[in-house]
Amino acid sequence: MEEGRRGSIIDVFSTASAVGKTLIGINMAAELSSQGYDVCLADVDLQFGDICNYLHLMPERTIADAARAVKEAPESFDAREFLDVYRCDDISFSVLAAPIRLDEAYNIEATSVQNILQNLQFNFDFVVVDTTSAFSEINLMVMDMSTIITFLGIVDFIPTIKNMKIGCDTIRGLGYEDSKIRLVLNRSNSQTKIELGDVEKLLGDHFYHVLPNDFEAARDSIMTGVPLVHTRNTALAGAMRELVARYTNQAVEQVPEKRGGGVSSWLGRFFN
Amino acid sequence: MDYQVILIENNRVMLERLSTVIQRTKGFSLVARYQRAGDALGQGAVFKPHIILLDIDVGENRGLIHEFAEAFQNAAILCISNHWDSDGASEVVKAGAKGYLIKPFSSEELVDAVGTFGKSGMAFGSKSLAFFSPKGKSGKTTLIANLALSLAQKSGEPVGIIDADLQFGDMAVFFNLTPKSTIVEATRDIKFLSPITLNSYFVPVPEMENLRVLCGTRKPEYAELVNIQSFEEMVRMALSLYRYVLIDLPPGFNPISVAAAELATKTYMIAMMSGGFELVHMRRAIEIFKAWPDFKTRLGTILTRVSPCNSAERKRLESILEYPISAILPNEYILVSAAANKGRMAVDIQPNTELSININKLSDDIIGLQGMRW
Ligand SMILES: Nc1ncnc2c1ncn2[C@@H]1O[C@H](COP(=O)(O)OP(=O)(O)OP(=O)(O)O)[C@@H](O)[C@H]1O
Ligand SMILES: Nc1ncnc2c1ncn2[C@@H]1O[C@H](COP(=O)(O)OP(=O)(O)O)[C@@H](O)[C@H]1O
Ligand SMILES: [Mg+2]
Ligand SMILES: [Mg+2]
Repeated sequence: MEEGRRGSIIDVFSTASAVGKTLIGINMAAELSSQGYDVCLADVDLQFGDICNYLHLMPERTIADAARAVKEAPESFDAREFLDVYRCDDISFSVLAAPIRLDEAYNIEATSVQNILQNLQFNFDFVVVDTTSAFSEINLMVMDMSTIITFLGIVDFIPTIKNMKIGCDTIRGLGYEDSKIRLVLNRSNSQTKIELGDVEKLLGDHFYHVLPNDFEAARDSIMTGVPLVHTRNTALAGAMRELVARYTNQAVEQVPEKRGGGVSSWLGRFFN
Repeated sequence: MDYQVILIENNRVMLERLSTVIQRTKGFSLVARYQRAGDALGQGAVFKPHIILLDIDVGENRGLIHEFAEAFQNAAILCISNHWDSDGASEVVKAGAKGYLIKPFSSEELVDAVGTFGKSGMAFGSKSLAFFSPKGKSGKTTLIANLALSLAQKSGEPVGIIDADLQFGDMAVFFNLTPKSTIVEATRDIKFLSPITLNSYFVPVPEMENLRVLCGTRKPEYAELVNIQSFEEMVRMALSLYRYVLIDLPPGFNPISVAAAELATKTYMIAMMSGGFELVHMRRAIEIFKAWPDFKTRLGTILTRVSPCNSAERKRLESILEYPISAILPNEYILVSAAANKGRMAVDIQPNTELSININKLSDDIIGLQGMRW
């Protein structure tokens, strides 16, 4: 079992809540599966995970059961026994659900999650991991294991930008390759007076990808339990599919130059 | 005129040492000093003291505080001891002392003690309020900042905010503060602190003299430096300084949020209405708090961005939650975020909006709450 091909882990992370990690994680999994890959979406927002809520799934087994099993019998553990399947036309992917009970969630150890994800890697081309907005032991472990960290941000008010900056600096401090970290801006055109260019200067990097704000499409997707990329007719769905295409395409991409220089605007004074 | 001080200190060497400090402190005159409290009680009145420093390391002196308070009605009694003890402090304040000072003290500490305790005395019957949210972006920090300001304005009493959202505390940005010390230093030093010195770790909010903030960590990795036991001790000590201590927390159940909720007089659970599963999360989290036998009084709930923000909607939400709601706040995104971006608070800028009115109502409820012993 410890040999052979291991799939990619795509971590979806942020340092602020409600920036769209779950929505984007779901759509990544959906799009990857409709491209023909074997995909598992793992909910590592253990206490208040939303994947099953957003996909209208009623899981019978969860990551809590998997964590117990992997601890009891690591040799015979097979993560596939603990998955649900989400299906909708050409979309089909597995889901590792968040625990039902909060006490189960509170007591899951990072090493159990690590062992479960490792096991999933042997069985899937892609494991997409939805997380919480903190540098917790589990999230740091997931980052270490990940092929790509999708670091999601939004630009709404100053504290969020401060936390995005702190998050970027902290992740950079972990010593990963630059190419492992993909800065993605969500809800780009929502109401705000803050200039994107200033934010990029502050972060010292360009956004790798930008997703538009589309409140109604996002809400409908959650109401119906159908991923946005299924309908394909919104700009948001288009931008999500492009993002996934950039992850799966083998073509070499042009890497934009790093942003440098001072932050000129009023934003700068918060970060001196 | 200088503050007229009477010093009572049993230890001869310490008596000399503290006398020198008092004499050297600008604005203070040492008018009499005694080794025995009984002598001070019998002979001190002639000096018309403003301040009596009473050594409470002598056990029987604690029992005399009440008599001192009766005999010297125009004086503030500050107990001096070589260590801090929150139970002991609570006892002496009940008996009539105004404050507590750790000896040996410096001139600065003496001045600070009189400045802090002089007017209202050490807070007593203080309340600690923990703000818990299942998920982030609940409007928690916005609410705490506005509520603290409202409590400070309405009660006129000292109010302290502790930003214990350890990795991503935003309170300093909300009030536009640049802290020299944070929760990391306060918890690190707590063993050596007294209320007076702890107060200096809290940053004053400009133009609001009775509101201070203990800011969060500068970097997420510093979160690990905050020891839970030291945090608990620090909150207890803060309760002797501030009438209301408001604690901001990271989302979800984690060691710091659980410790704060266990400790607090009252815990408010907060969620923002955003068309998702916030009420589902809240119901699950409420179940956990039901382990408290007194959860009905100890756990309150607040929903933010409620629209329409009226009593019918509130009732509807209560029936979904199956739990009473302490307050609902309307959607005021533009107002609250613009205010926070400028380091100002909505209740201050626009006191007549529905948001401010509802926050003020909540602060009335809190002022009416039964306090807790520290
Ligand atoms: N591009 C977008 N346009 C409009 N709304 C969006 C967009 N992305 C996400 N949303 C909405 O924002 C809300 C938060 O999204 P989501 O639950 O995916 O965030 P999250 O980062 O997983 O949050 P948490 O940290 O609380 O788990 C949802 O209501 C979602 O529909
Ligand atoms: N009553 C409200 N109506 C609308 N938006 C709000 C309200 N309260 C807060 N917000 C906004 O919600 C976001 C998150 O608020 P914040 O207080 O930082 O939440 P938390 O501390 O729970 O993460 C901010 O953009 C803030 O301006
Ligand atoms: Mg989520
Ligand atoms: Mg906050």
